[in-house]
Amino acid sequence: MTSVLTTAVGSPERRTKGTRRSHIRHMQWAGFLFAVPALALFLVFSVYPSLQVFGLSLFDYSLTSPPEFVGLKNFAYLSQDPRFVEAVGQTVFYAVGTYGVALVLALLLAQVLSEKARGGGVIRLMWFLPLATSWVAAAIIWRVVLHPHGMLNEALGIDVAWLTSSAFARWALVLMSIWKETGFFLILFLAGMSSLPGDVFEAARIDGAGAVRRFWSITLPLLRPITLVCLIMAVLRGVQAFSAQKVLTNGAFGTEVINLFVYKTAFESARMGRASAVAVLMFLVLIAFALIQMRALRRKD
Amino acid sequence: MRIERIWKRLWLGVAAIGALIIVSVLVYAVLTAFKAPGEPIGAGASWWPEEFSWGNIPAVFESAPFATYFANSTIVGVSVTVLNVLTCTAAGYSFSKFSYPGRHAAFILVIATLMIPLEVLYVPLYKIVFDLGWTDSFAGLIVPAATSAFGIFLMKQAIDSVPDELLEAAHLDGAGPMRTLVSVIVPSVIGTMSALALFIFMTNWDSHLWPLLVASDDTYRTLPVGLAAMQSNQLGDAGIPIILMAALIAVLPTIVLFLILQKKFVEGISMNAGIK
Repeated sequence: MTSVLTTAVGSPERRTKGTRRSHIRHMQWAGFLFAVPALALFLVFSVYPSLQVFGLSLFDYSLTSPPEFVGLKNFAYLSQDPRFVEAVGQTVFYAVGTYGVALVLALLLAQVLSEKARGGGVIRLMWFLPLATSWVAAAIIWRVVLHPHGMLNEALGIDVAWLTSSAFARWALVLMSIWKETGFFLILFLAGMSSLPGDVFEAARIDGAGAVRRFWSITLPLLRPITLVCLIMAVLRGVQAFSAQKVLTNGAFGTEVINLFVYKTAFESARMGRASAVAVLMFLVLIAFALIQMRALRRKD
Repeated sequence: MRIERIWKRLWLGVAAIGALIIVSVLVYAVLTAFKAPGEPIGAGASWWPEEFSWGNIPAVFESAPFATYFANSTIVGVSVTVLNVLTCTAAGYSFSKFSYPGRHAAFILVIATLMIPLEVLYVPLYKIVFDLGWTDSFAGLIVPAATSAFGIFLMKQAIDSVPDELLEAAHLDGAGPMRTLVSVIVPSVIGTMSALALFIFMTNWDSHLWPLLVASDDTYRTLPVGLAAMQSNQLGDAGIPIILMAALIAVLPTIVLFLILQKKFVEGISMNAGIK
């Protein structure tokens, strides 16, 4: 949803819309009071830590001992830590694998399920269900599915050590996450498709454009804003990956993602400064993504 | 035309098969959760339990302070949801219907934080909560999650669409800003408020990393943290049905809520998130 948000902030028609809030004008400051609780929480638990993380990244400290200034040493250390480099690679692998497939699947499913058809509602609901299971519960369910004698091996008649081999563990996590996440993007794409103008499709149909043609030349271009929203959500969710990796493998067999690496660095090795340095890097990457995305949207306008 | 219809049927069939695979995972989990502890779960064994072992349900509550986890998740989930709906609706109202210096800047600040997930900030956030002495407390679990940029945005969008004429009328009737909020704004955006409530509740019920840091003590553990601990304490395959049963009981509230409210939820997301 983020991209729509940023355009909403900057779009002129939204700003002028507010000019008619005349009657409570004289109560302006009373109006401000309504924003105070949210703003106070934001300042303390969002803005302040955002600033603090930059400072912390320059120190070496655990919660119990006094911080010691080390400059950019934390960053230098990270650049040479093969475990960190591997965690970055693993996060990219996981995010691209999971969300690449989930987005394409969700888009195609939305195309199939957006039109009214008998049974369509039930099929949708079934795809949404994993969304309502929490990550930890889903991971426990999948631990059994991926068990050497679990559902997957039994159904396929194979004998794969899904969670205890470096060759398969990363794929197992991607598989589970596709199961968990496709429904989320299906909701977003369905929402986007429900607002597309029907007459354009009718006109194209009369002109003899087939279903595939209509999908490529009408649906996809019109869905560009929502696709961007989905992409940014995918990046955010990919970066946030933690629970499945923690529960299923605890980062073993090449499945340690950045978040798990930060968690272990900060709270198991008590290297808060080094963990903050990772957070700073993530912060910068996310800001870069936000800027790219804003540009992409502006070009469209 | 006819070929197109056949294709449509075919694709719907493919979507249905996919949906069956999705659900079969849950069905398999339910069946396995009812197996007697120690009954083989695979290697040629039937997926259907030899006998439905209802004792697994009380066993979940005996094998760990599961009832406490459940109560904690409920307390935290409900508090966080109520606080979010209150703060986000009030902030949305403020940003939408008033003009005061700095209003625009404040809204942009809120929106900007949308890109930064809590996960990136948890080291400094933990330090703040630690310094406040809020580790192992409900305050530590609830207060940092008591508002959300997404919620403020959602509520502002919804309140933007409440016509100013309605506010004028309320003003002529002598209603102040608070009365206007309660008797005009809230009834108009109650749909979005409930979509937000469902979204926040489900997200919070799922929250794992933050409660894991804040609640090291069983007294304050929420379901995800407790479940994860139960599963790592569990010895061997024999415990699988119990831990699975625990996981299923843990997701029951959100599944039921979602099934009841999914139409509203999907509408709330599509109508008001500005996805147009």
